Parts: sequence; structure tokens; C-alpha cells
Amino acid sequence: MKYSLVLLALFSASTMMAADVVKDTQIQTTKVAETKVAETKVTVMCPANECKKVDDLEDKIVSLESKLGQVTQKAQEQEKVLEKNRKMLISVIGQGVAPMNTSSPAQAYALAKRAAVADAYRLVAEKVKGVRVEGQDVIKNMMVKRSTVRTSVSAMVKNANVVETTFKEGLCEVEMEILLAHSQFAQ
Amino acid sequence: MRSRDGNSSCSLAICSVILLNSLVLNASEYLISYRYIVKDMTLHNESLQISHAMKPCQGKIHNSIELPLKNDDTINDIVKKNPHEFIDFIHKVGLHLKHQESTKNAQNSFTTILTLKTTCFKVDFNENFAKISPLK
Repeated sequence: MKYSLVLLALFSASTMMAADVVKDTQIQTTKVAETKVAETKVTVMCPANECKKVDDLEDKIVSLESKLGQVTQKAQEQEKVLEKNRKMLISVIGQGVAPMNTSSPAQAYALAKRAAVADAYRLVAEKVKGVRVEGQDVIKNMMVKRSTVRTSVSAMVKNANVVETTFKEGLCEVEMEILLAHSQFAQ
Repeated sequence: MRSRDGNSSCSLAICSVILLNSLVLNASEYLISYRYIVKDMTLHNESLQISHAMKPCQGKIHNSIELPLKNDDTINDIVKKNPHEFIDFIHKVGLHLKHQESTKNAQNSFTTILTLKTTCFKVDFNENFAKISPLK
């Protein structure tokens, strides 16, 4: 009887200890599970197929960004910049036409050349200073009634040289060059 | 060592003063303006105005041109005899450009105006040539 009571006490004590150990292990396992979940939260965002799509899009964006960078770099290389202590030669070809009512071919040539020079000056100004562009479209009842584009240039041009003049079939062409230096634009 | 005619440097100085005075007396100032309009690739209007300056101009001489001159030629005669050279020179001096272009319903038209604003020119009348230079 005595032995049976001692055995009972030991058994109960052992069961109690076993229950505690089980609780501890359960807590530990849940903690580990939680940490694992926390770690995998970042990576697991979507189902497998959609994740692939997102990855593909990201790759595309990266490639497009690299392409854009290359294009801008090329554009910067192509755009001529007037640096200090350097000169830049700009060459243009202006065109002009003689008026209908001229008294002689010589007069026609002279007048056409004057018009061609003015055109060449305009081209030089456009290249160096740029063009102001204004556009206006009038739309009525879903139809374009009037479309207008206005461009204008205003500049001071000096020291331009006429390199070559050709006059053929009433059209005069003047090749003009101008040498630009950084000091001319220094303020 | 002195030369036979006395102080040569003094005589040289007097001669140069006389020469300079004569040059100055023959120099005069003119106001010149130039403008031409090109419309749709055709020259429309060209005008060159030359007049005596009523009061002395201020400024420094810049690049100049030398044109042949006969005895009693005035500035107008010189320009009439050498129009291309003079107009090219004015182009070199610098022209103000104003260009306006408009495209209405795919029909294009443009006007370009080149102007030399009234500028003072110093003209030195020498024996065989006249030296024209702008004052800026």
C-alpha cells in the first residue's frame, strides 16, 4: 500500500514535470514559428505566378532605365557646348528667290542674294539662340477649324562670312559661316 | 650729334602735328542706318539712310573699311560707287535680325527684317581712299 502511494506520488510528479516540459517546448516552437513567419513575410508577397510577373516588370524597368541613361548620355555628347577658350564654327545655307519684276538678270541675282543672306542670318540665329514656337488649334464640333503655328527669332548677328554663292534657275544659295567664341557671350 | 638743320626731332614733331591736323580736319562723322525686309524668300524693301552727325559722336573705332575716293566725292558718292562692298561691311558690323513665320492650315509665310540701328561712323577722307569705321 505504502509503495503504491509512493508510486502514485512519483507518477503525478513526473506527469506534472512532463506537462511543464511540453508547455516549454510548445512556447519555443511557437516562438520559432513566429520568427520564421516574420523572416518570410518580406519574401512571400504574392502567389508564384504573379511574383514572376512582378520580377519581369522590375527587370524591364531596370533595362529601360539603363537605356534612358544611355540615350541621355548620347544626347549630351551630341549637343555641342561652347566651352571656355574654344571656338565653334557654324555653317548654314540660306536660300533666296529673285522677284518676278526685275529689269535685268544682274538685278535678279543681287536681290536673290540679299534674300538668301537674310535667310542664312536667320538660320544662324536659330542655331545659336533658338526658336520661339507658339501653336494654336481651333476645334469646333469635334473638327479642327484652324491650325496655326507661329515661330519667331530675334537676335543680333555680326562677323558672319559668306563662303560661297550659287545662283541656279532663279534660286540663290548662300553658304555662310560664323565663328563663335565663349568670350562673345560672357556677361 | 645734331644734324645740319638743327633739331631734327623738333621739325619732325611739327610736321606730324600739321599732318594729324590736316587728317582731323578732313575727318567727319555720319549717322548711318540700314534696313531690309525679306518676305517669303523675296526681297521687299531695302533702305540705307546717311546723314551728317549734328553733334560729335562718342565711342571707339572698330573694324574699318577703305574705299576708293576721287577728288570731290562725298560719302554718298562713295557708297553709290561701291554698294556691294559697303553693304557687306555693314553686315560685318552687325545687323539685328527679327524673323516671324506663321503656318496657317499648312500654308507657310514668313518675314525677316534685318536692321542696322542708327550708328555713328567716322569717315576719314584721304587723297585716294576714304576710311569708314563705326564708333561704338
